[in-house]
Amino acid sequence: MALDKPLRDMGLKSERLLMPTKASKFEEEVADLEQKVGLTTLAKAVAWAQTNSMWPDTFGLACCAIEMMSIVSARYDIARFGMEPFRGSPRQADLLIVSGRVSHKMAAPLRQIYDQMLEPKWVIAMGACASSGGMFNNYAIVQSVDKIVAVDMYVPGCPPRPEQLMEGIIRLHEAVKAGVPPAYELRSVAS
Amino acid sequence: MSTIAPTRSRRPIYEGTRIPSPIPTVLKTTDELWATGDVLTVNFGPNHPSTHGVLRLIVDLYGEDVTGLEAVIGYLHTGFEKTMEQKTWWKCITYPERIDYVSFQNNEYVFVAAVERLLELEIPPKAIWMRTLLNELNRIHSHLVWLGTSALELGAISMFWYAFRERDQILDLSELVTGYRMHTRYFQVGGLAEDIPRGFYPEARKFCDWMPHAIDDYETLLTRNKIWLERTEGLGLLSAADAIALGQSGPVLRASGVDWDLRKRQPYLAYHQVDFDVPVFPQGDVYARYRVHMEEMRQSVRIVEQCLDRLENMEGEPWIADDRKVVLPPRHELHTSMESLIHHFKIVTEGFSVPEGEVYTAIESPRGELGCYVCSDGGPKPWRVKFRAPSYVALQATATCMTDALIADMIAIVGSLDTVMGEVDR
Amino acid sequence: MSLDATPGFVELSQAHGEETVVVDPSALIEAATFLRDEEGFNFLSDITPVDYLTWGERSVSGYIGTTGGRDLNTPMTQGYQAVPAAKPKRFAVNYHLLSISDEPRRVRLQVWLEDDEAVDTMIPVWPTADWHEREAWDLMGIRFEGHPNLKRILLDDDWEGHPLRKDYPLGGEPVRFSGEE
Repeated sequence: MALDKPLRDMGLKSERLLMPTKASKFEEEVADLEQKVGLTTLAKAVAWAQTNSMWPDTFGLACCAIEMMSIVSARYDIARFGMEPFRGSPRQADLLIVSGRVSHKMAAPLRQIYDQMLEPKWVIAMGACASSGGMFNNYAIVQSVDKIVAVDMYVPGCPPRPEQLMEGIIRLHEAVKAGVPPAYELRSVAS
Repeated sequence: MSTIAPTRSRRPIYEGTRIPSPIPTVLKTTDELWATGDVLTVNFGPNHPSTHGVLRLIVDLYGEDVTGLEAVIGYLHTGFEKTMEQKTWWKCITYPERIDYVSFQNNEYVFVAAVERLLELEIPPKAIWMRTLLNELNRIHSHLVWLGTSALELGAISMFWYAFRERDQILDLSELVTGYRMHTRYFQVGGLAEDIPRGFYPEARKFCDWMPHAIDDYETLLTRNKIWLERTEGLGLLSAADAIALGQSGPVLRASGVDWDLRKRQPYLAYHQVDFDVPVFPQGDVYARYRVHMEEMRQSVRIVEQCLDRLENMEGEPWIADDRKVVLPPRHELHTSMESLIHHFKIVTEGFSVPEGEVYTAIESPRGELGCYVCSDGGPKPWRVKFRAPSYVALQATATCMTDALIADMIAIVGSLDTVMGEVDR
Repeated sequence: MSLDATPGFVELSQAHGEETVVVDPSALIEAATFLRDEEGFNFLSDITPVDYLTWGERSVSGYIGTTGGRDLNTPMTQGYQAVPAAKPKRFAVNYHLLSISDEPRRVRLQVWLEDDEAVDTMIPVWPTADWHEREAWDLMGIRFEGHPNLKRILLDDDWEGHPLRKDYPLGGEPVRFSGEE
């Protein structure tokens, strides 16, 4: 009901499916949405503009931050996607790449930064620690940042290669261009 | 041991001590300044583009002068030490790398070295030389990240791209050898996890031929640059006595005039068999620390070249110790020897045990003295592991360095202490 | 080695190329001042608290015997179950000292404490002890007398408990797998 045609036909070219006729889990989730997914021409133009200049916030925490810095470097060049100005202020940023392990002490500043961002905003959980707590299943680390903020894209790896992070970013762009709403509209926080 | 000729500085390092009291790590605004009513307390929060990670500084400002400073840390506390007590010795090795995530190879080495001391294992020469080489490559990597980010904070934005260009070359080498760019987990208790692949030596030679030119490029941009000199000379002064009292080591100590490098004074690995100099600068300011870092990169390239000379003649030698109680036997033996099969099974499933004892191993990481205290009760898991992180101690010196600093100088000073918050908070 | 002359000296042991001087906690400041001034240990590398609760309660098998491996002259030492010797008290606080001089030496200064005992702060002797002692208080609960700023450093200010103690659980959560809902 939410999807007229498969996501691949709506622009998500990177959805690799073994069986093209069967929907992936992501596609099932999107199909479950109440409102229709798909964009009017004006919305398509807005989505195109949003994805081509989605500015990230400098939220580097740990090792993943070093690999996040290296996508700005000349070899991996995130500037070709319009994303090289990492804004220091969350009020000017669209994308929060949570790169690194989030300790309980840092959880409150993280939520505060997320709240200070203006909508529409997207969150990428970069690395194993942000996605699920990683190798640190202990008293100090929040087991997955989606307990604090609503996450759009999880990028696994420890740390993910710059190309892996860029794959995550490109998939996020495709989802936005296809009309998938940001995660805070789909769910609040995971339980 | 040579010292590179020092440049002239404007102010001499101070007399006496500047360590604040009663709390050595907190700079307190004087009561007269508070009485003026013009002191503003600003939170230089955990999320800030210039604090090298999640460091929080609570700063009292009188206009632009920094009159009070307190560092609040712990935003990246991961509980490494407690988690490592629950993992077997082999599985523990993945953890130290993530403590100081910029110089990961040195962290791996210090833990593995501590365990090997408790086991009293004999490491084959090939592994010793390769470990030296990778540690030095990692030193260059760490200094490049430091240079890129510190220069970026002071406004030399293009340095970031140049430094990261070379950094990517180092990570290419790392990927060639170990299969992964960062956090390679290549050091095993007993030696290396795998043999060195054949294509490594020519690639490493290419890197060593290119790197001094790259360092020349960086120095052309910064060392005699008037703006750089204005922003870094005479700032963040730390005298030798204060540095030793505050536990500083590494480039911060050497930039304060103390000729102390663990690679020369208490040599480990193959450092007593290679030729290199240790840069020592007497001025004790941010500029001196910058010069120390640049010179150390050059010396590291020298060491890497000498390691390559030795390693190229070591084809076919063993890369890991032969003690089957600790080290996996070679795979081809599993088909023929029952004992090897049993050893393999025991090591993979149960893990090896380390005899009872406690040991403190210290190496010269790019930030200073990185120490690892390991206490074993004879079992398959560590009883206690503690990492002495040089950045943790370096942050204690921020209050002392911050005399007569403006807020822009504070960025330069905190950057020059080369802190990595993963190490500080562990 | 004239480390025997340290005030409050209890014992000196050597292992793995290191020396450990055990000192009575009541004489710690004099011992530290002696080591810094007379013996030249001007650099405090690290303060490591260790909790020995439940030490020796599990018998460990495996690589006990000799460090060189199985001792062929002593049959049946492979896999010999052994219990490590008991420790004098629950906590040990290790001070790792280094002398930055032309003859570098390292020594470990060790004191033993029970759960509620406090030890003097080392800030007057080596100012770098400030944060090390705060971390020891924060993670292990060892109190330092005379410390001007003994607050939590790595954990939240309102955290309860001292995580690195052996009776504090590791924490964490059971891992959820997406297959099971």
